[in-house]
Amino acid sequence: MSDVPVTVTVFWYALLTALATGVGALPFALVRVVSPRLVALANAVAAGLMLGASFALVVEGTRYGGGPTEIGVLLGVAFVLAAERLMRDREVSFAGAVGAGAKRMLLMVGVMTVHSAAEGVAVGVSFGGTGALALAITMAIAVHNVPEGLAITAVLRPRGVSLVRCAGWSVFSSLPQPLLAVPAFLFVQAFTSALPYGLGFAAGAMMFMVFEELLPEAYGEAPRAAVAALASLFLVAMVVFQHYL
Amino acid sequence: MNPTLSVLLYASLAAGAASLGALPFALRGRLPLAWIGWANAVAAGLMLGVAHALVSVGMEREAVHVAVGAALGIGFIALTHRATGTGDLDLNRLDETRPEYGYQVLLVSTLHAAAEGVAIGTATALSLKFGAFTAAAIAVHNVPEATVLSAILTSRGVRRRDAAGLAVAADVNQVLLAVVTYALIAAAPPLLPWAVGFAVGALVYLVMAELLPEAYRQAGRTSIALATILAMAIVVLLDALRPA
Repeated sequence: MSDVPVTVTVFWYALLTALATGVGALPFALVRVVSPRLVALANAVAAGLMLGASFALVVEGTRYGGGPTEIGVLLGVAFVLAAERLMRDREVSFAGAVGAGAKRMLLMVGVMTVHSAAEGVAVGVSFGGTGALALAITMAIAVHNVPEGLAITAVLRPRGVSLVRCAGWSVFSSLPQPLLAVPAFLFVQAFTSALPYGLGFAAGAMMFMVFEELLPEAYGEAPRAAVAALASLFLVAMVVFQHYL
Repeated sequence: MNPTLSVLLYASLAAGAASLGALPFALRGRLPLAWIGWANAVAAGLMLGVAHALVSVGMEREAVHVAVGAALGIGFIALTHRATGTGDLDLNRLDETRPEYGYQVLLVSTLHAAAEGVAIGTATALSLKFGAFTAAAIAVHNVPEATVLSAILTSRGVRRRDAAGLAVAADVNQVLLAVVTYALIAAAPPLLPWAVGFAVGALVYLVMAELLPEAYRQAGRTSIALATILAMAIVVLLDALRPA
């Protein structure tokens, strides 16, 4: 297989995960308000899938080198942390110009967009490993995007934004995925020695999102036994699913 | 040395490590709440690291058996939480005055330690070196866990020395379950993938149901995320460097 078709595949896979974000807006076609508990449970499912995917990334990375994978993990954590800090500062400087509701909307879409940059890198890098890994990571990210779209719509819709625009903003927040997946893939292709760093980076970025956002938010809105059961079951399911691909 | 004796030794050392958890109280009278949160997060990260090491070895065997075992492990802990009425119990309250609260917390700690005993026994059945590695990780993990337990017990008027003793006592069944699990697998080797799954499911569920929800209430989520990931990364790195 030549490089060009694979590059196209990477783009399509990452675009697919971005479109999955728009699916999150669909439940709002039936009801005006989706309960925070449902969003929390969806986040718990996403947390389990992403942790399982990180396990797989680390196992794959360790095959090429344990040290580089670990350095990659730390870089991934640092990247998301720095990106979120940057967003927070930006948001403060915008605060005078926009109202409180608009500020929350902007923050929501902005934070999600920064996230998806790291997720795009994850999808692209995973194509440098085995085919099974790429499919598993793409699926984990796509499923994770659905509650993200749900969360964005939950903020925008009650403020009078139309359903189509909600779906549009949801997909927009994930557009960095196809845009960054391709360069990330080409980079690890060109510099094979970068692969374990890249795999570690993707794992670190995803784990940080799970522990810093998905889980604490889920515990805030749903009973912890339900969150724990969903997250653990989907973590194991992801690991097994990845094994059989 | 007889392998069963090795399991006994490893698990005993891991349980004994819990006594070190009371040390911070010898240095400082009372711990800030954020410290307890970080201790919980470090304990969570170490457990996730052990689960990662176990599952990456276990997957090379019958993956379906591992998966079913994991579902059983998750179900077992969820049921024991429900049966003991501790599912929604706030585990780290220093100001709780109900007399039965101290016993409930000790009961939860005991059940928690039992699952870790299964993990040590299973890891040793995979290989002696892996067993020593897992026991070491659980031993380190027992220290912050015992710190949290001692904080609760001393706040309820238990003397420091007694709190250290109770923290070790809560981990004693770790030794029993490690030996029983090892002996069972030695007698019936097909049980191995099931045991690996059971240990992984139980460890992950305990992290998600006990340690993390408490931790997020005690310290900022960014510091909790960092402490959890760093602790996990250390175990994963040591596991990768472990001679096969």
